[in-house]
Amino acid sequence: MADYKAVVIGGGPAGLAAALAAADKGAGTLIIERENRLGGILKQCIHDGFGVIRFGEKLSGCEYAQRFIDKVKAHPGIEVRLLTFVIDIKKSDIFTITATSSRGIETITAENLIFANGCRERTARQVNIHGTRPAGVMTAGVAQNYVNLQGVLPGKRCVILGSGDIGLIMARRLTLEGARVLGVYEAKSTPSGLTRNIVQCLHDFDIPLHLSKTVKRVFGHGRLEAVEVCSVNDKMEYIDGTEEIIPCDTLIVSVGLIPENELAESLNIPLDPRTRGPFVDQNMMTLEDGVYSVGNCLHVHDLVDYVSETAETAGRAAAGSKAPRELLDIEQEGFLYLVPQKLDLDSLAPETVFYFRTAMPREAATLDVTVDGEVVFSKKYQNLKPPEMERVEVPLSPKKGQTVKFFLSGREVK
Amino acid sequence: MPDIKKIQKILKKNGFGNITVSEMLGGVRLTGELSSYEDILECGRLAVDKKNSRGVINDIKLTGFTPKPMRVPPVNDLAYDGRRPDVLIVGGGIVGSAIARELSKYDISVMLCEKEYDLAVAQSSRNDGMIHAGIDLKPNSIKVKYNMRGNKLYNTLSKELDVPISKVGQYVLFTSPWQKLVYPFVVARARKNDIPIRYVKQKELDAKVPGLKFRHGGMFFAGAGIVCPYLMTVALAECAVKNGAEVCLNTAVLDIEREGDRIVSVTTNRGRIYPKVVVNAAGIFSDVIAEKAGDRHFTIHPRKGVEAILDKKAAGITDSVLGRFALKTSTGKQHTKGGGIVRTIDGNILVGPNAIETPEREDDSTTCESLNEVLHKQQGLTSELKRSDIITYFAGTRAATYEEEFIVEKSPYVKNFVQAAGIQSPGITAAPAIAEDITAFCVQILSEGRKVEPKKNFDPYRKGITRVKELPPEERDALIKKNPDYGIIICRCEEVSKGEILDAIRAPIPATTIDAIKRRVRAGMGRCQGGFCSPIITRLIAEECGKSLLEVCKKGPGSELNVAYTKEVDYGGL
Amino acid sequence: MRLVCIVCPNSCLLEVEKTDAGVKVTGNKCKRGITFAIEEVTAPKRSLTTTVRTVFEGFPVAPVRTNGEIPKEKIPAVMAYLKTVVADKRYKAGDVICGNVLDTGVDIIITIDMDQEG
Repeated sequence: MADYKAVVIGGGPAGLAAALAAADKGAGTLIIERENRLGGILKQCIHDGFGVIRFGEKLSGCEYAQRFIDKVKAHPGIEVRLLTFVIDIKKSDIFTITATSSRGIETITAENLIFANGCRERTARQVNIHGTRPAGVMTAGVAQNYVNLQGVLPGKRCVILGSGDIGLIMARRLTLEGARVLGVYEAKSTPSGLTRNIVQCLHDFDIPLHLSKTVKRVFGHGRLEAVEVCSVNDKMEYIDGTEEIIPCDTLIVSVGLIPENELAESLNIPLDPRTRGPFVDQNMMTLEDGVYSVGNCLHVHDLVDYVSETAETAGRAAAGSKAPRELLDIEQEGFLYLVPQKLDLDSLAPETVFYFRTAMPREAATLDVTVDGEVVFSKKYQNLKPPEMERVEVPLSPKKGQTVKFFLSGREVK
Repeated sequence: MPDIKKIQKILKKNGFGNITVSEMLGGVRLTGELSSYEDILECGRLAVDKKNSRGVINDIKLTGFTPKPMRVPPVNDLAYDGRRPDVLIVGGGIVGSAIARELSKYDISVMLCEKEYDLAVAQSSRNDGMIHAGIDLKPNSIKVKYNMRGNKLYNTLSKELDVPISKVGQYVLFTSPWQKLVYPFVVARARKNDIPIRYVKQKELDAKVPGLKFRHGGMFFAGAGIVCPYLMTVALAECAVKNGAEVCLNTAVLDIEREGDRIVSVTTNRGRIYPKVVVNAAGIFSDVIAEKAGDRHFTIHPRKGVEAILDKKAAGITDSVLGRFALKTSTGKQHTKGGGIVRTIDGNILVGPNAIETPEREDDSTTCESLNEVLHKQQGLTSELKRSDIITYFAGTRAATYEEEFIVEKSPYVKNFVQAAGIQSPGITAAPAIAEDITAFCVQILSEGRKVEPKKNFDPYRKGITRVKELPPEERDALIKKNPDYGIIICRCEEVSKGEILDAIRAPIPATTIDAIKRRVRAGMGRCQGGFCSPIITRLIAEECGKSLLEVCKKGPGSELNVAYTKEVDYGGL
Repeated sequence: MRLVCIVCPNSCLLEVEKTDAGVKVTGNKCKRGITFAIEEVTAPKRSLTTTVRTVFEGFPVAPVRTNGEIPKEKIPAVMAYLKTVVADKRYKAGDVICGNVLDTGVDIIITIDMDQEG
């Protein structure tokens, strides 16, 4: 008999929602969180735009998290351990978690595990930035922590590499706090972040956006003194002769998020290379019975509202029993990724929620879902872009042995 | 004495007739001007005469080029003004630190001054951490003498200083069928220095190294090992400090004053010091210190090397050390081993280095091209080496003399000057042995003035910072119950606790910057490269050291991480 | 002129025409887009999110936002004003720390429970 029906690893938005859903269904639930407060990355997301879908309000990230934190704190069925870090998980008929905290080494047993441990940022050296190693080069999350949690400015003349949402948000944030953002550089030929962020973070502040350009190397010994940017072709290769030196004291690197799945890998849970998270069924259960994956460690989301939704799906399921599943593979074509990748045929709802990203920008796109070649669902999209994740509800009730295929077509936009 | 005319002839024959050759301090000095750095290097190599000359002093100017001045910390005070130690060691790398410990075995007052913000900032933290078998070294060289002695000293040192080592051995792969024929000659060479060697069949190699591309067998050298070179440096110095030595960081030697044939004082940015003996362990600047002291009979031509570190997930590539057999290296004709693949003592895979001559002593920048070169070369060894596993890369500059040899000597010209100069690879291995000889020289010199006695209460032991991650659960639990900070994990990639970070900040030689803490306890060395822990560690440093957040640095002064408080800067406007 | 609507993630591409009769908007998927477009070309407004200092050790800054949108051109003044505001109570998320900031009719609210560190 395990200590808890569901142990949630991670107390950010995904973990909070999953824990509430599990506990609401009667599951004895524990949240293990390594920081000293709940909220995860939302603690430092003071900008708004969160909760438009879920609450119909434009909340800041910390407010969004607070709503769930308040419920978790009030819930008699949820225990929270802060400043607690999982160092090992062993699987038998239950899961045995070893964790460290100021209390010592603890062993916790769980019937079900929900991984909600988020993602990490891609580093400067993972995008081949060379030169010296001065202070002043940091990922956007680090800058965000310094500005929004510690009240300090990491620099005054900033170059931002990467037009993903975090980079754009920080461009505005740094400008508001008195820094000068010289420009946002994006290696791709189209911006990565949400269009409205390009408008309200760059256009509003006259911050130029340079596409098809990247940072090649940095200069400066103690503190950054300059960066060298250069143009790249569509294969991301440097174009000789296009180098330009830009004097600055800060380089903010915002070049993508990588789901954290060290714990999942330690349990040999197969990961989908397209999402870099585990393969899951429509209940967010991985290929390992009783182990769920939610939030950014499953795949990098754009909207926290969808994080909460899928986390709740997992939480509800984790309150149930761990019956052996009949899993059906979903074939996919035309996607960067599609989640879930599998269907648990014994627990299908009338409609299944899918999330996907198109492999390339498309116009006049069509999503077709076929079962044994027959179209069972079709939806048209005016515009699809890889940085903008889509949510779709599909009625699906295939039988064992049938072939289910998701097919995304549409004119590629160059 | 060097044959100046002969060297002049050699230079002229090679097209460098306009270079002036003269004798200086028993060495050969080259002066003039050339427009190619490669040519300057070539002149230096041509002027080498190990038998008759003390060294090549290459003062040929490179047209239109002035090297950057030595970086000096922006600290200026009189903290050490008027101090009178028996011995002043210049340089806080592994060699200087090993010397400090050896000297502290005697009733000798020792000061070590290091211009950087921490020990082991230059070569000593920028190498592959190998304890070398010695096979790549010329059998009668100074290098091999110290390498073999040092290698033997490492087991004891590891236990006494609480720094783990592992004698993992080294595989050297034959890259073509005919190389096997040279094996008997390598055995003969190995015998000269008692280097254990055995032949390895391809089957054994395939079992050891997945994806191995060479199919011609190889050799195994059981005497090779691995250590964390910067942890060893710190450990040596901390033991010295425990036994009375003083380590002065951010202290740069600006000048050395002589009277006749003796040094009387050393001017630093932190005051003037009056040592009885000066030891030169200044690595990449050892010829600059030699010049200030009055016995510069050699020149350092810096040779940069780039290395890449791979995620621990790639550790399956090898569990020891892999390299190619290179005939040129074995016969001493080439002074670089060509690099290889090492699984470090911490479990990362380290790839490289390459070797690029550069006139800039402190250029530790990497370039795209040099990383590609390193990767490409080592990918030739195994198909398992993937660029996508790289988590970071770095560079360092080797302190290479033209003789490509160590200088471990008492100066014949300056009576109280001792040199451990031009120490490049195998410096990590050789350091403990070099330290013994340098100490003997210092004791000799000091004994001229008074009786020098070994310390009765010398304590050879030193305890390092506990790695809580490596403790068995019960031990870890007990430690946390005594000190709860060991239970709180700050760096999650490397599982480093708050307690360990505080230990580093509070250490006998304090680590109070992000990079210094990183080297001591590995916080920030994982796959996220400090993305999560660095803001937290910044706050810890500020709290622990009573500094403001704006004073916390990445490395030395001048590398502050944050420039202002947000509410004290004016918004520039829309 | 062309405008991207920033009200919701749809980011509709709007065509906005200023005529004598008023402002004509096309391309919107909902009514909010029309309101946005009209405002954007006549009197653009934005929400503002930032931080204010606190008196509490271990809590250097607390996050705040405007409870609504303020004229875009007032942002520098509001930012300058907020530099002088210090949170001296343990506010809860949603509490007003500055009512009707600089006469904009919009409040500044705290967006986190400033309780003790967990």
